[in-house]
Amino acid sequence: MNDNIFGSAARKRILSFIIIGFTAIIIAQLFNMQIVNAPTYEVRSDENSVKPIYQTAPRGILFDRNQEVLVGNKPSFTLRITPSEYQDTLTPYIETILGVDSGYVHKILKANNTYSKYIPRRIAKDVDFKVIAWYEENAAKLPGVDYVMETQRDYSFGVMGAHMFGYAREIPLSILQKRKNEYSMGDEIGFAGLEKTYEDILRGKKGVHYVLVDSRQKTIGKYKSGEEDYSAVKGYDLILSIDKAAQKVAEDAFKERRGAVVAIEPSTGEIIAFTSSPQFDPAEFAAVTSYENYKAMRDNPDKPLLNRATTGYYSPGSTFKMISAVAGLEEGLIDETTRIPCNGGFQFGDRFFKCLHNHGSTDVETSIEKSCNTFYYSLVNKLGLDRWSTYSKKFGFGRKTSVDLGEEGRGIVPSEEYYNKVYGKRGWTKGFVISLGIGQGELSVTPIQMAQYAALFANYGKSANPHFLKAYIDTKTRVRTDVKPQYYDIGISRHSFEIVRHAMWKVVNGAGTAGNIRSTDLDISGKTGTAQNPHGKDHAIFVGFAPYNNPKIAIAVIVENAGFGSVAAAPIARDVIAAYMRKALPNQPVTIAEAD
Amino acid sequence: MKINYNIQDRFDLAVFLPVVVLIAFGLIAIYSSTLNLPSARGDFFKQVVFVGVSFFTFLLFYSLPHQTIKLIAIPLYSVSIFFLIAVLVVGKTVYGAKSWFGIGGFGFQPSELAKAGTILMLAYWLTYKSRDINNLKDLTIALGIGIVPIMLIMLEPDMGTSIVFGLVTLTLVFWSGISLFGLFVVLSPGFVIFASLFGTISFIGALLLIIAALFFFKRDLFNSITVFVINLASGFFFDFVFKILKPHQQKRIESFLDPTADPLGAGYNALQAKVAIGSGGLYGKGFLNGNQTQLRFIPKQWTDFIYSVIGEEFGFIGSVLVVILFAVIFIRLLNIASLAKDKFSVLIVVGVLSLLFSHFALNIGMDLGITPVIGLPLPFLSYGGSSLLVNMMLIGLVLNIYRNRKLHT
Repeated sequence: MNDNIFGSAARKRILSFIIIGFTAIIIAQLFNMQIVNAPTYEVRSDENSVKPIYQTAPRGILFDRNQEVLVGNKPSFTLRITPSEYQDTLTPYIETILGVDSGYVHKILKANNTYSKYIPRRIAKDVDFKVIAWYEENAAKLPGVDYVMETQRDYSFGVMGAHMFGYAREIPLSILQKRKNEYSMGDEIGFAGLEKTYEDILRGKKGVHYVLVDSRQKTIGKYKSGEEDYSAVKGYDLILSIDKAAQKVAEDAFKERRGAVVAIEPSTGEIIAFTSSPQFDPAEFAAVTSYENYKAMRDNPDKPLLNRATTGYYSPGSTFKMISAVAGLEEGLIDETTRIPCNGGFQFGDRFFKCLHNHGSTDVETSIEKSCNTFYYSLVNKLGLDRWSTYSKKFGFGRKTSVDLGEEGRGIVPSEEYYNKVYGKRGWTKGFVISLGIGQGELSVTPIQMAQYAALFANYGKSANPHFLKAYIDTKTRVRTDVKPQYYDIGISRHSFEIVRHAMWKVVNGAGTAGNIRSTDLDISGKTGTAQNPHGKDHAIFVGFAPYNNPKIAIAVIVENAGFGSVAAAPIARDVIAAYMRKALPNQPVTIAEAD
Repeated sequence: MKINYNIQDRFDLAVFLPVVVLIAFGLIAIYSSTLNLPSARGDFFKQVVFVGVSFFTFLLFYSLPHQTIKLIAIPLYSVSIFFLIAVLVVGKTVYGAKSWFGIGGFGFQPSELAKAGTILMLAYWLTYKSRDINNLKDLTIALGIGIVPIMLIMLEPDMGTSIVFGLVTLTLVFWSGISLFGLFVVLSPGFVIFASLFGTISFIGALLLIIAALFFFKRDLFNSITVFVINLASGFFFDFVFKILKPHQQKRIESFLDPTADPLGAGYNALQAKVAIGSGGLYGKGFLNGNQTQLRFIPKQWTDFIYSVIGEEFGFIGSVLVVILFAVIFIRLLNIASLAKDKFSVLIVVGVLSLLFSHFALNIGMDLGITPVIGLPLPFLSYGGSSLLVNMMLIGLVLNIYRNRKLHT
């Protein structure tokens, strides 16, 4: 054996070098992992084991202008299935207890199969307590099935208001993909109406508590002893301008009819009552609604999903005469003394435009009171299309009212440009314009535009955009924030308004067409109208306001296929006004006016 | 030189104290990683018992008369080999390897005992009379002493322990003064095997390099051809061994070569261990607060992945402390080797050093992703009675050698 080599200093140095070198590498790698890259590893570690459990936030409550609840919340049981643990053999039992068709559970699970199988799916919302009792009894035999208490919209406060309140529903995949940062699967989202408009403040803030799960997703305990958890915060309560009493009267009046009512506080644009009929039951959307339910509603010939009040197009009929009157007065074509003879019609070229009566020599006030057509054929002929159209637009027709509901129609106010486009430059005659004077022809308005129109007469051309939201209340601070409407003035002289307003007063309180709703107590002014309807019986229309001095409410009522405006529409307006003014209904026999 | 009879003179605290601290660290980490696992809850208490027994063993081997060490070399080695054969016949299969004897509630791993047996046997053989490590016959027998347990352990199969035996044998041969050519002959088959893992082309490339090296050494034709044939044969032999390996072992080798290939299989544990250590940061998440550990993301963490518990819960500071304690032990062992009275003792110390260092480097290296994922315990820290017992027995022998060191330099 070579003594010089055995354990030589050189070999000892090599071993020392290996030991120190490797130790240095280890420390360097530790530094790299635990100091330099620690944040990356921390994220991965947390992703591994921390699971958030969300708690849905109750949506804000909708109150009326007197703080009465319109739409509330109620606790409800939601039955859920977590596919990772669920066994398909349980499906028949669950379908039987829920009382649903066979295949229901499978369909819901299939519709959601793109999500992680560890996430529970809502199978049925608002389930009966007997289902929960059954579940509790058999929980051990039902792996992957559970239930949670959630809050759900409660519509049992006496009004439906489906078209204004709208509804919230489980977020559809298509929207979820666009708004991934704000929502997650199973969240509710305001889908129509005010629920949609004010989604951001109504939805509240989801609560979350973090739990630690082990490598098999089993919950082990709280994460950081719950210090990063927070509870759900209810959405802001909304105070709407709706008056529950008036709203109820409006809805009840339309139980068997189709049409719309919009009532507005003239000075502020606040909407007092708003209904479109037929309605749908928003509670149906609060549950897990099947596509079939939705389709049935969509395909119903009465179109319950259509919001007639903002998207229904109607011919305004005689209610539009005031536009020509104001325009004539403002443009100096007539004054309060100007008289136009009515011989039962108006000859224009080779066409004769009829009036319902032979009114004789008529001034502007009588023309409105008695609804003389001849006066307006003649006036609009002098006025011309351009000026007529300009004044129509001043009163808000042909454009959106910017009400705080999602969908709204502009309506149609024909202009030269419009006719040129539709009929070609030579395809239309001046005769087209004549019938516009009495609100017929190619003129389309929405009920909310009509209500705004009534409000402008009530308040001498000054109002604000129609809106529902008066104020909202911060859930945490309880601070009330009032919403400032956009005030505007359409710039028409008070003198012109005084003449037309007085004529409108006479419609109800003189020898006018709406004498059937006369009431000294309510002191209503207004104008009836009958809109020709190519598809059936005429629509009845009434626009008006009350009381005459310092009006508190302006209203538009449209009853589809109901004939004369004074018969069908005016009494509804009167009843809504009475309810809002907290006055008793005058017990007066209905007299059918001869003309409107 | 005057003999100083204080305790440090007879008992090397520089080795003993780090060992005690590491064992304490191990108990803490075992406690933490089994706390939330009812099935392993008892392992902590078992380990406490093992610690007690192993300290007794330590004292036994520390106080053994120095001459008797030499006497137990051959019997210990023979018993080890006997057990290694027996375990293949009657052993209990744990995690796909037949490496355990079940005795009552406790298990016993003969490969652990074989570590002590082989170190003693090699030290005995290499220093018996006038061996020449550069003599082919002496070298072959020395390598044979190492290869017999290696082969038996490979059959269990336990890759990690086989590698450690290889490294220990190599270190002792190296320390004994093997020449550069000798080292080349010993190491080249390993190189060829490693190259063959990457496919036929690299296997042929490696063989070409061997031929080039043989020209460099300018040995005679017979020697050169012999070495080349050995290399060629070992390449084919390994291919044969690879095929008889259990699928999980093949996967481990493959996942080291390409860690992205199988993220949820063999690489998964290593990845989770890395996440645990990395997320520990500077100070760690605190005792019992490591979520990777407490939520059991790392299977059987208290055995082979014990270091990740320390990394996660005690952070960079704790991790480095453990590494430094080991480094202190290693450097101290190297010094004790120079102080030992005879070559036999020197080789025992160097053998223990290489054994502990191999475990340390391969275990922590695996946790940090710098060495392949092979199942090896971390000395003094990992749960396991046989391992702790044998390690403490070896530390006892080393301190025995220190106690009986050359008194004059």
